[in-house]
Amino acid sequence: MTIRTRLTLWYAGILTASLIIIGLGTYRELDEQMRHEHRRAPVEHAVSETAEMVFQVGAPAIVLGLLGGRWLTRKALSPVSKLADAITKVHESNLREPLPRSGNRDELDRLTEVFNGMLARLDDSFQRVREFTLHASHELKTPLTVLCGEIETTLRDESLSVAERERAASLLDELRRLTRIVDGLTLLAKADAGQVTLNLEPLHFDELVREIHADTQILAEPQHIRVELTACEALSVHGDRHRLRQLLLNLADNAVKYNQSQGTVIMALRRVGDTAEFTIVNTGAGIAPEALPRVFDRFFRGDPAHSQGVDGCGLGLSIVKWIATAHGGTVQISSAPAKPTTVTVCLPLAV
Amino acid sequence: MRVLVVEDEKKTASFVRKALHAEGFAVDTCADGNDALAVAQTTPFDVIVLDIMLPGRDGLSVLRQLRQNRNATPILLLSARGEVNERVEGLNAGADDYLPKPFELAELVARVRALGRRGGESKSPVLRVADLTLDTITHRAQRGSAEIELTAREYRLLEFLMRSPGRLCGRMMIVEKVWNYDFDPGTNLVDVYIRRLREKIDAGFEPKLLHTVRGSGYVLKETA
Repeated sequence: MTIRTRLTLWYAGILTASLIIIGLGTYRELDEQMRHEHRRAPVEHAVSETAEMVFQVGAPAIVLGLLGGRWLTRKALSPVSKLADAITKVHESNLREPLPRSGNRDELDRLTEVFNGMLARLDDSFQRVREFTLHASHELKTPLTVLCGEIETTLRDESLSVAERERAASLLDELRRLTRIVDGLTLLAKADAGQVTLNLEPLHFDELVREIHADTQILAEPQHIRVELTACEALSVHGDRHRLRQLLLNLADNAVKYNQSQGTVIMALRRVGDTAEFTIVNTGAGIAPEALPRVFDRFFRGDPAHSQGVDGCGLGLSIVKWIATAHGGTVQISSAPAKPTTVTVCLPLAV
Repeated sequence: MRVLVVEDEKKTASFVRKALHAEGFAVDTCADGNDALAVAQTTPFDVIVLDIMLPGRDGLSVLRQLRQNRNATPILLLSARGEVNERVEGLNAGADDYLPKPFELAELVARVRALGRRGGESKSPVLRVADLTLDTITHRAQRGSAEIELTAREYRLLEFLMRSPGRLCGRMMIVEKVWNYDFDPGTNLVDVYIRRLREKIDAGFEPKLLHTVRGSGYVLKETA
Protein backbone atom coordinates (compact mmCIF):
# COMPACT_ATOMS: atom_id res chain seq x y z
CA MET A 1 0.00 0.00 0.00
CA THR A 2 1.43 3.42 -0.86
CA ILE A 3 1.88 6.06 1.81
CA ARG A 4 -0.77 8.25 0.12
CA THR A 5 -3.42 5.55 0.38
CA ARG A 6 -2.42 4.74 3.90
CA LEU A 7 -2.50 8.37 5.03
CA THR A 8 -5.85 8.86 3.33
CA LEU A 9 -7.36 5.80 4.98
CA TRP A 10 -6.02 6.70 8.42
CA TYR A 11 -7.25 10.27 8.17
CA ALA A 12 -10.63 9.10 6.94
CA GLY A 13 -10.76 6.86 10.04
CA ILE A 14 -9.96 9.79 12.34
CA LEU A 15 -12.57 12.01 10.69
CA THR A 16 -15.21 9.30 10.95
CA ALA A 17 -14.40 8.84 14.64
CA SER A 18 -14.73 12.63 15.22
CA LEU A 19 -18.02 12.74 13.29
CA ILE A 20 -19.41 9.83 15.28
CA ILE A 21 -18.49 11.58 18.55
CA ILE A 22 -20.03 14.87 17.39
CA GLY A 23 -23.11 13.06 16.04
CA LEU A 24 -23.64 11.02 19.21
CA GLY A 25 -23.18 14.07 21.45
CA THR A 26 -25.52 16.20 19.37
CA TYR A 27 -28.14 13.47 19.26
CA ARG A 28 -28.08 13.00 23.03
CA GLU A 29 -28.31 16.76 23.72
CA LEU A 30 -31.13 17.24 21.22
CA ASP A 31 -32.99 14.26 22.64
CA GLU A 32 -32.77 15.71 26.16
CA GLN A 33 -33.82 19.13 24.94
CA MET A 34 -36.89 17.68 23.20
CA ARG A 35 -38.00 15.97 26.38
CA HIS A 36 -37.51 19.23 28.39
CA GLU A 37 -39.44 21.24 25.81
CA HIS A 38 -42.55 19.19 26.57
CA ARG A 39 -42.72 20.80 30.00
CA ARG A 40 -41.44 24.37 29.42
CA ALA A 41 -39.42 26.12 26.72
CA PRO A 42 -37.55 29.28 27.81
CA VAL A 43 -36.01 30.64 24.58
CA GLU A 44 -33.14 32.54 26.24
CA HIS A 45 -31.85 29.23 27.66
CA ALA A 46 -31.71 27.60 24.28
CA VAL A 47 -28.80 29.85 23.05
CA SER A 48 -26.55 29.15 26.04
CA GLU A 49 -27.44 25.47 25.89
CA THR A 50 -26.42 25.30 22.24
CA ALA A 51 -23.07 26.96 23.07
CA GLU A 52 -22.56 24.49 25.91
CA MET A 53 -23.46 21.64 23.62
CA VAL A 54 -20.97 22.74 20.98
CA PHE A 55 -18.29 23.06 23.66
CA GLN A 56 -19.04 19.69 25.23
CA VAL A 57 -19.09 17.82 21.96
CA GLY A 58 -16.75 19.92 19.80
CA ALA A 59 -13.82 20.14 22.25
CA PRO A 60 -13.20 16.38 22.45
CA ALA A 61 -13.57 16.18 18.69
CA ILE A 62 -10.94 18.93 18.19
CA VAL A 63 -8.57 17.31 20.69
CA LEU A 64 -9.06 13.96 18.98
CA GLY A 65 -8.41 15.57 15.62
CA LEU A 66 -5.19 17.23 16.86
CA LEU A 67 -3.87 14.10 18.58
CA GLY A 68 -4.86 12.01 15.59
CA GLY A 69 -3.06 14.31 13.19
CA ARG A 70 0.03 14.28 15.36
CA TRP A 71 -0.03 10.50 15.62
CA LEU A 72 -0.61 10.29 11.92
CA THR A 73 2.40 12.37 10.90
CA ARG A 74 4.64 10.63 13.38
CA LYS A 75 3.57 7.21 12.18
CA ALA A 76 3.92 8.24 8.55
CA LEU A 77 7.39 9.73 9.08
CA SER A 78 8.88 7.12 11.43
CA PRO A 79 10.19 4.94 8.55
CA VAL A 80 11.94 8.05 7.18
CA SER A 81 13.83 8.68 10.39
CA LYS A 82 14.64 4.97 10.68
CA LEU A 83 16.03 5.10 7.16
CA ALA A 84 18.01 8.24 7.99
CA ASP A 85 19.51 6.52 11.05
CA ALA A 86 20.51 3.54 8.94
CA ILE A 87 22.07 5.76 6.27
CA THR A 88 24.09 7.67 8.89
CA LYS A 89 25.80 4.38 9.78
CA VAL A 90 26.88 3.70 6.18
CA HIS A 91 30.67 3.71 5.94
CA GLU A 92 33.32 2.69 3.42
CA SER A 93 33.77 -0.58 5.27
CA ASN A 94 30.12 -1.71 5.53
CA LEU A 95 28.84 -0.81 2.08
CA ARG A 96 27.99 -4.43 1.53
CA GLU A 97 25.35 -4.47 4.29
CA PRO A 98 21.99 -3.43 2.78
CA LEU A 99 19.72 -0.96 4.62
CA PRO A 100 16.81 -2.78 6.33
CA ARG A 101 13.54 -2.66 4.37
CA SER A 102 10.21 -2.19 6.11
CA GLY A 103 8.44 -4.65 3.82
CA ASN A 104 5.41 -2.33 3.40
CA ARG A 105 6.01 -2.07 -0.35
CA ASP A 106 5.49 1.69 -0.17
CA GLU A 107 7.43 4.65 -1.57
CA LEU A 108 9.93 4.49 1.30
CA ASP A 109 10.52 0.83 0.68
CA ARG A 110 11.28 1.70 -2.90
CA LEU A 111 13.59 4.49 -1.74
CA THR A 112 15.44 2.00 0.49
CA GLU A 113 15.76 -0.31 -2.47
CA VAL A 114 17.18 2.49 -4.62
CA PHE A 115 19.65 3.35 -1.84
CA ASN A 116 20.69 -0.27 -1.57
CA GLY A 117 21.27 -0.36 -5.30
CA MET A 118 23.44 2.74 -5.04
CA LEU A 119 25.41 1.27 -2.11
CA ALA A 120 26.02 -1.91 -4.08
CA ARG A 121 27.34 0.12 -7.00
CA LEU A 122 29.56 2.15 -4.65
CA ASP A 123 30.82 -1.03 -3.04
CA ASP A 124 31.62 -2.34 -6.50
CA SER A 125 33.66 0.73 -7.33
CA PHE A 126 35.51 0.60 -4.00
CA GLN A 127 36.14 -3.07 -4.56
CA ARG A 128 37.59 -2.35 -7.98
CA VAL A 129 39.92 0.32 -6.57
CA ARG A 130 41.05 -2.07 -3.84
CA GLU A 131 41.62 -4.89 -6.29
CA PHE A 132 43.49 -2.54 -8.56
CA THR A 133 45.94 -1.62 -5.77
CA LEU A 134 46.32 -5.25 -4.78
CA HIS A 135 46.93 -6.43 -8.35
CA ALA A 136 49.20 -3.51 -9.13
CA SER A 137 51.37 -4.25 -6.11
CA HIS A 138 51.54 -7.94 -7.04
CA GLU A 139 52.37 -7.19 -10.66
CA LEU A 140 55.20 -4.90 -9.59
CA LYS A 141 56.91 -7.63 -7.61
CA THR A 142 58.15 -9.78 -10.47
CA PRO A 143 59.88 -6.99 -12.42
CA LEU A 144 61.28 -5.66 -9.13
CA THR A 145 62.71 -9.10 -8.34
CA VAL A 146 64.31 -9.25 -11.77
CA LEU A 147 65.74 -5.73 -11.49
CA CYS A 148 67.18 -6.32 -8.01
CA GLY A 149 68.59 -9.67 -9.09
CA GLU A 150 70.23 -8.31 -12.24
CA ILE A 151 71.82 -5.41 -10.39
CA GLU A 152 73.08 -7.67 -7.62
CA THR A 153 74.53 -9.99 -10.25
CA THR A 154 76.25 -6.99 -11.84
CA LEU A 155 77.66 -6.00 -8.43
CA ARG A 156 79.32 -9.38 -8.16
CA ASP A 157 81.35 -8.65 -11.26
CA GLU A 158 84.93 -8.14 -10.04
CA SER A 159 85.88 -6.05 -13.09
CA LEU A 160 83.54 -3.15 -12.21
CA SER A 161 85.22 0.20 -11.58
CA VAL A 162 84.60 1.92 -8.26
CA ALA A 163 82.31 4.49 -9.92
CA GLU A 164 80.28 1.79 -11.71
CA ARG A 165 79.95 -0.17 -8.52
CA GLU A 166 78.78 2.89 -6.62
CA ARG A 167 76.20 3.66 -9.31
CA ALA A 168 74.85 0.13 -9.30
CA ALA A 169 74.72 0.06 -5.51
CA SER A 170 72.81 3.35 -5.36
CA LEU A 171 70.33 2.00 -7.94
CA LEU A 172 69.88 -1.00 -5.69
CA ASP A 173 69.18 1.29 -2.71
CA GLU A 174 66.42 3.02 -4.68
CA LEU A 175 64.98 -0.32 -5.74
CA ARG A 176 64.85 -1.38 -2.11
CA ARG A 177 62.94 1.78 -1.26
CA LEU A 178 60.51 0.97 -4.05
CA THR A 179 60.25 -2.56 -2.71
CA ARG A 180 59.30 -1.24 0.72
CA ILE A 181 56.62 0.98 -0.83
CA VAL A 182 55.21 -1.96 -2.76
CA ASP A 183 55.31 -4.12 0.39
CA GLY A 184 53.45 -1.44 2.35
CA LEU A 185 50.87 -1.05 -0.41
CA THR A 186 50.31 -4.78 -0.57
CA LEU A 187 49.82 -4.97 3.17
CA LEU A 188 47.30 -2.09 3.20
CA ALA A 189 45.46 -3.31 0.09
CA LYS A 190 45.15 -6.76 1.66
CA ALA A 191 43.99 -5.24 4.92
CA ASP A 192 41.34 -3.22 3.03
CA ALA A 193 40.13 -6.38 1.34
CA GLY A 194 39.98 -8.12 4.74
CA GLN A 195 42.58 -10.65 3.65
CA VAL A 196 45.00 -10.20 6.52
CA THR A 197 44.43 -12.27 9.62
CA LEU A 198 46.20 -11.31 12.81
CA ASN A 199 47.84 -14.03 14.86
CA LEU A 200 46.40 -12.90 18.17
CA GLU A 201 47.93 -14.12 21.41
CA PRO A 202 48.14 -12.73 24.92
CA LEU A 203 51.42 -10.88 25.15
CA HIS A 204 53.34 -8.54 27.44
CA PHE A 205 53.12 -5.21 25.68
CA ASP A 206 55.67 -3.70 28.07
CA GLU A 207 58.31 -6.17 26.84
CA LEU A 208 57.79 -5.05 23.25
CA VAL A 209 58.02 -1.42 24.36
CA ARG A 210 61.30 -2.07 26.22
CA GLU A 211 62.77 -3.81 23.17
CA ILE A 212 61.82 -0.95 20.87
CA HIS A 213 63.16 1.55 23.41
CA ALA A 214 66.55 -0.19 23.34
CA ASP A 215 66.58 -0.29 19.52
CA THR A 216 65.52 3.35 19.26
CA GLN A 217 68.37 4.44 21.54
CA ILE A 218 70.79 2.85 19.10
CA LEU A 219 68.95 4.27 16.06
CA ALA A 220 69.01 7.77 17.52
CA GLU A 221 72.68 7.75 18.52
CA PRO A 222 74.11 9.16 15.26
CA GLN A 223 71.96 12.34 15.61
CA HIS A 224 72.66 12.55 19.38
CA ILE A 225 68.97 12.26 20.18
CA ARG A 226 68.12 11.25 23.74
CA VAL A 227 65.52 8.47 24.00
CA GLU A 228 63.74 8.13 27.35
CA LEU A 229 61.27 5.61 28.63
CA THR A 230 59.56 7.43 31.49
CA ALA A 231 56.97 4.77 32.40
CA CYS A 232 56.53 1.16 31.42
CA GLU A 233 53.79 -0.57 33.41
CA ALA A 234 53.46 -4.34 33.06
CA LEU A 235 50.44 -4.61 30.76
CA SER A 236 49.08 -7.54 28.75
CA VAL A 237 47.23 -7.10 25.49
CA HIS A 238 45.71 -9.56 23.07
CA GLY A 239 47.72 -8.92 19.94
CA ASP A 240 49.84 -9.97 17.00
CA ARG A 241 53.47 -9.77 18.10
CA HIS A 242 54.92 -8.93 14.68
CA ARG A 243 52.32 -6.30 13.81
CA LEU A 244 52.62 -4.57 17.21
CA ARG A 245 56.41 -4.49 16.84
CA GLN A 246 55.92 -2.98 13.41
CA LEU A 247 53.59 -0.35 14.90
CA LEU A 248 56.08 0.58 17.64
CA LEU A 249 59.06 0.58 15.31
CA ASN A 250 57.28 2.77 12.72
CA LEU A 251 56.42 5.30 15.43
CA ALA A 252 59.91 5.20 16.93
CA ASP A 253 61.52 5.53 13.52
CA ASN A 254 59.37 8.58 12.73
CA ALA A 255 60.15 10.13 16.11
CA VAL A 256 63.86 9.90 15.28
CA LYS A 257 63.66 10.78 11.58
CA TYR A 258 61.55 13.91 12.06
CA ASN A 259 63.49 15.03 15.13
CA GLN A 260 66.24 17.58 15.27
CA SER A 261 69.83 16.87 16.12
CA GLN A 262 70.27 16.61 19.94
CA GLY A 263 66.51 16.43 20.35
CA THR A 264 64.57 14.13 22.64
CA VAL A 265 62.18 11.22 22.23
CA ILE A 266 60.04 10.30 25.24
CA MET A 267 58.12 7.05 25.38
CA ALA A 268 55.69 5.92 28.06
CA LEU A 269 53.37 2.98 28.57
CA ARG A 270 50.60 3.43 31.13
CA ARG A 271 47.34 1.86 32.06
CA VAL A 272 44.40 4.21 31.45
CA GLY A 273 41.09 2.63 32.42
CA ASP A 274 40.72 -0.56 30.39
CA THR A 275 43.39 0.37 27.87
CA ALA A 276 47.13 0.26 27.51
CA GLU A 277 48.19 3.75 26.47
CA PHE A 278 51.48 4.11 24.66
CA THR A 279 52.69 7.66 24.03
CA ILE A 280 55.72 8.78 22.10
CA VAL A 281 56.79 12.42 22.02
CA ASN A 282 59.41 13.92 19.75
CA THR A 283 60.94 17.38 19.70
CA GLY A 284 60.86 17.81 15.93
CA ALA A 285 59.68 20.83 13.97
CA GLY A 286 56.03 20.06 14.72
CA ILE A 287 53.16 19.69 12.28
CA ALA A 288 51.00 22.49 10.86
CA PRO A 289 47.32 22.34 11.99
CA GLU A 290 46.08 21.94 8.41
CA ALA A 291 48.37 18.96 7.85
CA LEU A 292 47.58 17.25 11.16
CA PRO A 293 44.32 15.51 10.20
CA ARG A 294 45.93 14.09 7.10
CA VAL A 295 49.10 12.53 8.53
CA PHE A 296 47.52 9.07 8.63
CA ASP A 297 46.59 9.29 4.93
CA ARG A 298 48.53 7.11 2.54
CA PHE A 299 51.51 8.83 0.95
CA PHE A 300 50.74 12.07 2.75
CA ARG A 301 53.88 14.10 3.43
CA GLY A 302 53.56 17.15 5.64
CA ASP A 303 55.64 20.25 5.08
CA PRO A 304 58.07 19.24 2.32
CA ALA A 305 60.76 21.45 3.89
CA HIS A 306 60.71 19.29 7.00
CA SER A 307 60.62 15.94 5.30
CA GLN A 308 63.36 16.73 2.84
CA GLY A 309 66.08 14.15 2.89
CA VAL A 310 63.98 11.94 5.14
CA ASP A 311 63.96 8.46 3.76
CA GLY A 312 60.59 6.85 4.15
CA CYS A 313 57.89 5.15 2.15
CA GLY A 314 55.03 7.50 3.09
CA LEU A 315 52.95 4.63 4.41
CA GLY A 316 54.36 4.25 7.93
CA LEU A 317 51.57 6.05 9.80
CA SER A 318 48.83 4.49 7.61
CA ILE A 319 50.18 1.09 8.61
CA VAL A 320 50.29 2.18 12.27
CA LYS A 321 46.66 3.26 12.06
CA TRP A 322 45.59 0.01 10.43
CA ILE A 323 47.44 -2.09 13.04
CA ALA A 324 45.94 -0.12 15.96
CA THR A 325 42.42 -0.32 14.51
CA ALA A 326 42.74 -4.01 13.69
CA HIS A 327 43.56 -4.58 17.37
CA GLY A 328 40.41 -2.72 18.42
CA GLY A 329 42.50 0.27 19.46
CA THR A 330 42.97 3.89 18.46
CA VAL A 331 45.80 6.18 17.47
CA GLN A 332 45.89 9.95 17.86
CA ILE A 333 48.39 12.63 17.08
CA SER A 334 48.75 16.10 18.54
CA SER A 335 51.22 18.70 17.43
CA ALA A 336 51.74 22.32 16.42
CA PRO A 337 54.53 24.11 14.58
CA ALA A 338 57.64 24.41 16.76
CA LYS A 339 55.91 22.31 19.45
CA PRO A 340 56.58 18.68 20.38
CA THR A 341 54.58 16.04 18.51
CA THR A 342 52.81 13.36 20.56
CA VAL A 343 51.40 10.15 19.15
CA THR A 344 49.11 8.18 21.46
CA VAL A 345 48.15 4.57 20.82
CA CYS A 346 45.47 2.95 22.98
CA LEU A 347 44.96 -0.80 22.89
CA PRO A 348 42.38 -2.73 24.88
CA LEU A 349 43.93 -4.69 27.76
CA ALA A 350 43.72 -8.48 27.71
CA VAL A 351 41.13 -9.74 30.18
CA MET B 1 75.88 -29.25 -3.09
CA ARG B 2 73.03 -29.70 -5.53
CA VAL B 3 70.12 -27.26 -5.70
CA LEU B 4 66.86 -27.45 -7.64
CA VAL B 5 65.39 -24.07 -8.59
CA VAL B 6 61.70 -24.21 -9.49
CA GLU B 7 60.69 -20.86 -11.02
CA ASP B 8 58.65 -20.17 -14.16
CA GLU B 9 59.79 -16.57 -14.59
CA LYS B 10 62.76 -17.07 -16.92
CA LYS B 11 64.83 -14.03 -15.96
CA THR B 12 64.44 -14.69 -12.24
CA ALA B 13 65.36 -18.35 -12.73
CA SER B 14 68.38 -17.29 -14.76
CA PHE B 15 69.96 -14.93 -12.24
CA VAL B 16 69.17 -17.20 -9.32
CA ARG B 17 70.89 -20.02 -11.17
CA LYS B 18 73.89 -17.81 -11.98
CA ALA B 19 74.23 -16.59 -8.41
CA LEU B 20 74.00 -20.06 -6.88
CA HIS B 21 76.38 -21.38 -9.51
CA ALA B 22 78.88 -18.64 -8.62
CA GLU B 23 78.75 -19.89 -5.01
CA GLY B 24 79.82 -23.30 -6.21
CA PHE B 25 76.43 -25.06 -6.15
CA ALA B 26 75.32 -27.44 -8.87
CA VAL B 27 72.01 -25.98 -10.05
CA ASP B 28 69.10 -27.61 -11.91
CA THR B 29 66.14 -25.48 -12.98
CA CYS B 30 62.56 -26.34 -13.67
CA ALA B 31 59.63 -24.14 -14.74
CA ASP B 32 56.59 -26.33 -14.10
CA GLY B 33 55.10 -27.72 -10.88
CA ASN B 34 54.49 -31.22 -12.18
CA ASP B 35 57.98 -31.49 -13.68
CA ALA B 36 59.44 -30.25 -10.43
CA LEU B 37 57.63 -32.92 -8.46
CA ALA B 38 58.85 -35.63 -10.84
CA VAL B 39 62.46 -34.41 -10.77
CA ALA B 40 62.51 -33.93 -6.98
CA GLN B 41 61.25 -37.45 -6.41
CA THR B 42 63.88 -39.10 -8.58
CA THR B 43 66.96 -36.97 -7.92
CA PRO B 44 68.40 -36.27 -4.49
CA PHE B 45 68.88 -32.52 -3.91
CA ASP B 46 70.42 -30.77 -0.94
CA VAL B 47 68.03 -27.82 -1.21
CA ILE B 48 64.97 -26.97 -3.32
CA VAL B 49 64.09 -23.34 -4.08
CA LEU B 50 60.38 -23.40 -4.87
CA ASP B 51 58.23 -20.59 -6.23
CA ILE B 52 54.58 -20.70 -5.15
CA MET B 53 52.99 -19.46 -8.37
CA LEU B 54 53.77 -22.11 -10.98
CA PRO B 55 52.10 -23.50 -14.07
CA GLY B 56 50.94 -27.10 -13.83
CA ARG B 57 50.85 -27.44 -10.06
CA ASP B 58 51.43 -24.65 -7.55
CA GLY B 59 54.41 -24.65 -5.22
CA LEU B 60 52.43 -25.33 -2.04
CA SER B 61 50.93 -28.43 -3.64
CA VAL B 62 54.39 -29.63 -4.77
CA LEU B 63 55.61 -29.06 -1.22
CA ARG B 64 52.73 -30.98 0.38
CA GLN B 65 53.11 -33.88 -2.05
CA LEU B 66 56.85 -34.13 -1.40
CA ARG B 67 56.33 -34.12 2.36
CA GLN B 68 53.56 -36.70 2.02
CA ASN B 69 56.02 -38.91 0.16
CA ARG B 70 58.41 -38.54 3.09
CA ASN B 71 60.83 -36.44 1.09
CA ALA B 72 62.59 -34.26 3.67
CA THR B 73 64.76 -32.14 1.35
CA PRO B 74 65.04 -28.62 2.84
CA ILE B 75 62.76 -26.31 0.88
CA LEU B 76 62.95 -22.52 0.53
CA LEU B 77 59.61 -21.12 -0.65
CA LEU B 78 59.51 -18.01 -2.83
CA SER B 79 56.38 -15.96 -3.16
CA ALA B 80 55.29 -12.78 -4.89
CA ARG B 81 52.30 -12.49 -2.65
CA GLY B 82 54.54 -12.11 0.38
CA GLU B 83 51.94 -11.97 3.11
CA VAL B 84 52.32 -13.21 6.65
CA ASN B 85 49.47 -15.68 6.31
CA GLU B 86 51.09 -17.25 3.31
CA ARG B 87 54.34 -17.55 5.17
CA VAL B 88 52.58 -19.35 8.01
CA GLU B 89 50.73 -21.56 5.52
CA GLY B 90 53.99 -22.44 3.75
CA LEU B 91 55.87 -23.23 6.94
CA ASN B 92 52.94 -25.32 8.19
CA ALA B 93 52.93 -27.26 4.93
CA GLY B 94 56.53 -28.24 5.68
CA ALA B 95 58.69 -25.53 4.10
CA ASP B 96 61.95 -24.84 5.92
CA ASP B 97 62.24 -21.19 5.02
CA TYR B 98 60.27 -18.55 3.19
CA LEU B 99 61.40 -15.56 1.15
CA PRO B 100 58.95 -12.98 -0.22
CA LYS B 101 59.58 -11.43 -3.64
CA PRO B 102 61.22 -9.17 -4.45
CA PHE B 103 64.13 -10.66 -2.56
CA GLU B 104 67.79 -9.81 -2.51
CA LEU B 105 70.03 -12.25 -4.24
CA ALA B 106 72.52 -12.26 -1.40
CA GLU B 107 69.61 -13.09 0.89
CA LEU B 108 68.55 -16.03 -1.22
CA VAL B 109 72.09 -17.39 -1.51
CA ALA B 110 72.64 -17.08 2.25
CA ARG B 111 69.40 -18.89 3.01
CA VAL B 112 70.09 -21.70 0.54
CA ARG B 113 73.51 -22.12 2.09
CA ALA B 114 72.08 -22.16 5.60
CA LEU B 115 69.51 -24.80 4.62
CA GLY B 116 72.13 -26.97 2.91
CA ARG B 117 74.40 -26.80 5.90
CA ARG B 118 71.75 -27.55 8.45
CA GLY B 119 72.73 -30.26 10.81
CA GLY B 120 76.37 -29.88 9.82
CA GLU B 121 76.78 -26.77 11.97
CA SER B 122 79.61 -26.47 14.41
CA LYS B 123 78.57 -27.99 17.72
CA SER B 124 81.35 -26.39 19.71
CA PRO B 125 80.04 -23.93 22.27
CA VAL B 126 82.94 -21.57 21.53
CA LEU B 127 82.82 -19.81 18.14
CA ARG B 128 86.08 -18.48 16.74
CA VAL B 129 87.02 -16.15 13.87
CA ALA B 130 90.73 -15.18 13.86
CA ASP B 131 91.42 -14.08 17.46
CA LEU B 132 87.79 -13.22 18.15
CA THR B 133 86.02 -15.78 20.31
CA LEU B 134 82.45 -16.02 21.50
CA ASP B 135 81.36 -18.45 24.19
CA THR B 136 77.73 -19.32 23.50
CA ILE B 137 77.23 -20.66 27.01
CA THR B 138 78.61 -17.84 29.12
CA HIS B 139 77.95 -15.20 26.39
CA ARG B 140 81.52 -13.94 26.83
CA ALA B 141 83.21 -12.31 23.85
CA GLN B 142 86.94 -11.75 23.60
CA ARG B 143 89.20 -10.22 21.00
CA GLY B 144 92.68 -11.55 21.76
CA SER B 145 92.87 -11.22 25.51
CA ALA B 146 90.57 -8.18 25.67
CA GLU B 147 87.11 -8.73 27.07
CA ILE B 148 84.27 -7.23 24.96
CA GLU B 149 81.06 -6.03 26.62
CA LEU B 150 77.98 -6.75 24.51
CA THR B 151 74.30 -5.94 24.93
CA ALA B 152 71.85 -8.82 24.42
CA ARG B 153 71.06 -7.73 20.87
CA GLU B 154 74.71 -7.21 19.96
CA TYR B 155 75.48 -10.64 21.31
CA ARG B 156 72.79 -12.23 19.14
CA LEU B 157 74.03 -10.34 16.09
CA LEU B 158 77.61 -11.38 16.67
CA GLU B 159 76.62 -14.99 17.28
CA PHE B 160 74.62 -15.01 14.07
CA LEU B 161 77.54 -13.62 12.06
CA MET B 162 80.06 -15.94 13.71
CA ARG B 163 77.98 -18.97 12.86
CA SER B 164 78.52 -18.23 9.15
CA PRO B 165 82.12 -17.00 9.07
CA GLY B 166 83.34 -15.88 5.66
CA ARG B 167 79.75 -15.91 4.33
CA LEU B 168 77.68 -12.99 3.20
CA CYS B 169 74.68 -12.33 5.48
CA GLY B 170 71.80 -10.34 3.96
CA ARG B 171 70.05 -7.57 5.89
CA MET B 172 66.62 -9.22 5.83
CA MET B 173 68.05 -12.46 7.13
CA ILE B 174 69.72 -10.61 10.01
CA VAL B 175 66.49 -8.73 10.79
CA GLU B 176 64.61 -12.01 10.80
CA LYS B 177 67.04 -14.11 12.83
CA VAL B 178 68.41 -11.50 15.23
CA TRP B 179 65.37 -9.27 15.70
CA ASN B 180 62.72 -11.83 15.00
CA TYR B 181 60.88 -9.39 12.70
CA ASP B 182 58.91 -10.77 9.78
CA PHE B 183 58.83 -7.39 8.03
CA ASP B 184 61.43 -5.08 6.53
CA PRO B 185 61.75 -2.44 9.28
CA GLY B 186 62.69 0.12 6.63
CA THR B 187 65.15 1.71 9.05
CA ASN B 188 68.90 1.62 9.18
CA LEU B 189 68.66 -0.39 12.41
CA VAL B 190 70.93 -3.18 11.18
CA ASP B 191 73.53 -0.77 9.80
CA VAL B 192 73.64 1.14 13.08
CA TYR B 193 74.04 -2.07 15.13
CA ILE B 194 76.76 -3.30 12.77
CA ARG B 195 78.57 0.00 13.20
CA ARG B 196 78.43 -0.34 17.00
CA LEU B 197 79.53 -3.93 16.88
CA ARG B 198 82.41 -2.96 14.59
CA GLU B 199 83.54 -0.35 17.11
CA LYS B 200 83.62 -3.01 19.79
CA ILE B 201 85.29 -5.88 17.96
CA ASP B 202 87.40 -4.10 15.35
CA ALA B 203 88.42 -0.67 16.69
CA GLY B 204 92.05 -0.84 17.75
CA PHE B 205 92.50 -4.41 16.49
CA GLU B 206 94.03 -5.83 13.33
CA PRO B 207 92.96 -7.39 11.06
CA LYS B 208 89.48 -5.91 10.68
CA LEU B 209 86.91 -8.70 10.75
CA LEU B 210 83.47 -7.20 10.10
CA HIS B 211 83.03 -6.05 6.50
CA THR B 212 80.18 -4.39 4.65
CA VAL B 213 79.49 -5.61 1.13
CA ARG B 214 77.93 -2.57 -0.53
CA GLY B 215 74.43 -3.33 -1.68
CA SER B 216 74.39 -6.88 -0.35
CA GLY B 217 75.02 -7.32 3.35
CA TYR B 218 77.72 -8.08 5.86
CA VAL B 219 80.41 -10.65 6.27
CA LEU B 220 82.64 -11.62 9.17
CA LYS B 221 86.00 -12.82 7.93
CA GLU B 222 89.72 -12.49 8.44
CA THR B 223 90.76 -11.01 5.10
CA ALA B 224 89.06 -8.15 3.30
